[in-house]
Amino acid sequence: MPHYQTWEEFTRAAEKLYLADPMKVRVVLKYRHCDGNLCIKVTDDVACLLYRTDQAQDVKKIEKFHSQLMRLMVAKESRSAAMETD
Amino acid sequence: TVLLISEQNHLLLFQKCRTSGSVFITLKKYDGRTKPVPRKGHVESFEPADNKCLLRATDGKKKISTVVSSKEVNKFQMVSFVCLLSSFFVGTGEE
Repeated sequence: MPHYQTWEEFTRAAEKLYLADPMKVRVVLKYRHCDGNLCIKVTDDVACLLYRTDQAQDVKKIEKFHSQLMRLMVAKESRSAAMETD
Repeated sequence: TVLLISEQNHLLLFQKCRTSGSVFITLKKYDGRTKPVPRKGHVESFEPADNKCLLRATDGKKKISTVVSSKEVNKFQMVSFVCLLSSFFVGTGEE
């Protein structure tokens, strides 16, 4: 269950996992107000990729990535150019 | 703290005024099926949709969910999500 330290590594691995089998992958966001942290998990029930943060600047990145994944899911072609890896 | 999820004209308000506990948001691609996959026997013809996703939110007690299609995704933003979390982290974090 790898915890990624680098955002870029996480998004690369997460996008790859999703594109391998879009119907198997789910994205889970866990927010704890009391602890002040946000965790994003991308899993296909075999591999589990995690990124955790307590930094404000990461919140925007996580939300943006979440939106990108949502757009990928509703796009007709599975290999959509809507995904930008920054 | 409030999490707003906008779905067409319906606004699902998810209030989370808590000093303890977690909020979970789950997103997955959805093919539109409304019946479980039959274990055996003939498989009824089913045309999977390719333009939908399922969004669920819970605080462990209350649950809400919605289906988002390609037509709605542009209107669909986690607006308050970013605002509330950003304002929260400003209050607690040093950086």
